[in-house]
Amino acid sequence: MTLNLCVLTPNRIVWDSEVKEIILSTNSGQIGVLPNHAPIATAVDIGILRIRLNDQWLTMALMGGFARIGNNEITVLVNDAEKGSDIDPQEAQQTLEIAEANLRKAEGRRQIIEANLALRRARARVEAINGIS
Amino acid sequence: MAMASLRREGRRFAAPLISSQPITAIRSSLIAEEQAPLGIRSISTQVVRNRMKSVKNIQKITKAMKMVAASKLRAIQTRAENSRGLWQPFTALLGDAPSVDAKKNVIVTISSDKGLCGGINSTSVKISKAIHKLTAGPEKETKYVILGEKAKAQLIRDSKKDIELSITELQKNPLNYTQVSVLADDILKNVEYDALRIIFNKFHSVVSFLPTMSTVLSPEVVEREAESGGKLGDLDSYEIEGGETKGEILQNLAEFQFSCVLFNAVLENACSEQGARMSAMDSSSRNAGEMLDRLTLTYNRTRQASITTELIEIISGASALEG
Repeated sequence: MTLNLCVLTPNRIVWDSEVKEIILSTNSGQIGVLPNHAPIATAVDIGILRIRLNDQWLTMALMGGFARIGNNEITVLVNDAEKGSDIDPQEAQQTLEIAEANLRKAEGRRQIIEANLALRRARARVEAINGIS
Repeated sequence: MAMASLRREGRRFAAPLISSQPITAIRSSLIAEEQAPLGIRSISTQVVRNRMKSVKNIQKITKAMKMVAASKLRAIQTRAENSRGLWQPFTALLGDAPSVDAKKNVIVTISSDKGLCGGINSTSVKISKAIHKLTAGPEKETKYVILGEKAKAQLIRDSKKDIELSITELQKNPLNYTQVSVLADDILKNVEYDALRIIFNKFHSVVSFLPTMSTVLSPEVVEREAESGGKLGDLDSYEIEGGETKGEILQNLAEFQFSCVLFNAVLENACSEQGARMSAMDSSSRNAGEMLDRLTLTYNRTRQASITTELIEIISGASALEG
C-alpha cells in the first residue's frame, strides 16, 4: 500500500510518483501522512515537505499552498516548490542573508510583511538543504 | 476587329481583378481601374507591375507574421500544458458547477490585445453576451471584468455600464504566475461575487480553439451547495485543517483556485491567439499568392496588347504611306 504523491506548481509538475510516507507543514503544525490516512484538505504553509521512499528521506521546500489527501492520493498545490537537491547551498545562504537585511531595513507595514515572507521562503530553502544531511 | 478584341481584353481583365479576394490597399485602385478600359486604348503595364509589387510585399509580410506566431506558439504551448494540471485537483475536490444559481455573477472575459488573429475575440465576446443574458433576471446582477483590448473595444459599445474592471497590455511582460495572482487579487478585492465565470479560448490543437467557460464559486456558495449534496457534498467528508475556521480555509481555497484557473485560462488564450493568427496569416499569404497569379496573367495580356497596338500602328502607317 503506497501513497501516490503529486506536487504541482503553476509552472510545472515537481513530483509525481509513489512514496511511503510524507511529513507536511501546515499552519497548525506538521502532520505526517501514512497510507490509509483519513481524507483531509489543508492549507500548506511556507516550509519543508519531507518524503520517504524506502527508508530514505527527501526534502522539498514549499512556498505555501494547499494539500488534499484522498484515499491514498495526495495532491499538493503550491506557488513554488524546489527539491532540496536542486538548491545551491551557497546561493540559498546568501538569499537568506539578503532577506534578513531587507527585513531590518523595511519600513511600512506592507514592506515588513513582504520582507517577512521573503525571509520565511529563504529559510525554508536553507532548511531543505540541511534536512537531507 | 483589332479594336473590338482590345475592348474585349479590357473588360476581361477588369472582371478578374475585382472578383479576387480584396486586399484593402488595392481595392481603391481597382475601382479606379474599372472605369479606365472603356474608351482608353490600353492600361499601362506600369500600373499592373506596381500592383504586383505591393501584393508580393503583403505576401512576404503575412508569411513572416505566420512564422513569428508559430515560434511564439511553441514557446507558450508547453507552459499552458503544464499549467493544466494545476486546476484539475480543484475540480476533483469541488466539482465544476456551471449551472449553480448565483445572485451576483461576474463574467471575466479574456481576449487578446492585438488583432489579426482570426475570430477568437468575437466568439469570446459573443459567448460573454449570451451568458450575460442567461444569468440576468430579477434580483440578479451580472458584471464584466475584461482582460485585453479587443474585448474591451467590443463590449464597451453596448454594455458600458456593466463593466466593472478592464485590464489591458497583459502580454507586455512574459506571463508568469505571480503577475496573474496579483491580478486575481485585484479582481477579488474590487468585485463582489457569488460566482465567477471565466471565458477563454481553450487550445486543443493548432487548428482548433474552443471557447470555454470555467466557474469559480465563492466560499459562501460552496458551503450552501455542500449542504445540498452532490459533488460538493463530498467536501464535507474531508476534514479541513490548517487554520482557525473552516470558512477561512474555504476562502483561501477559493482565492487560490481563482488565481490558478485564471493563470491557466490566460495561457490557453494566448496559445489560441497565436494559433489563430498563424492560420489567418497563412490563408492571407495564400490569397496573396492567388492574386499575384491573376495579376501576372493580366500583366502578360496587357504587355501583349500594347505590342499588338504598336504593330498595328506601324503596319497601318506603312500601308497608308504606300497608298
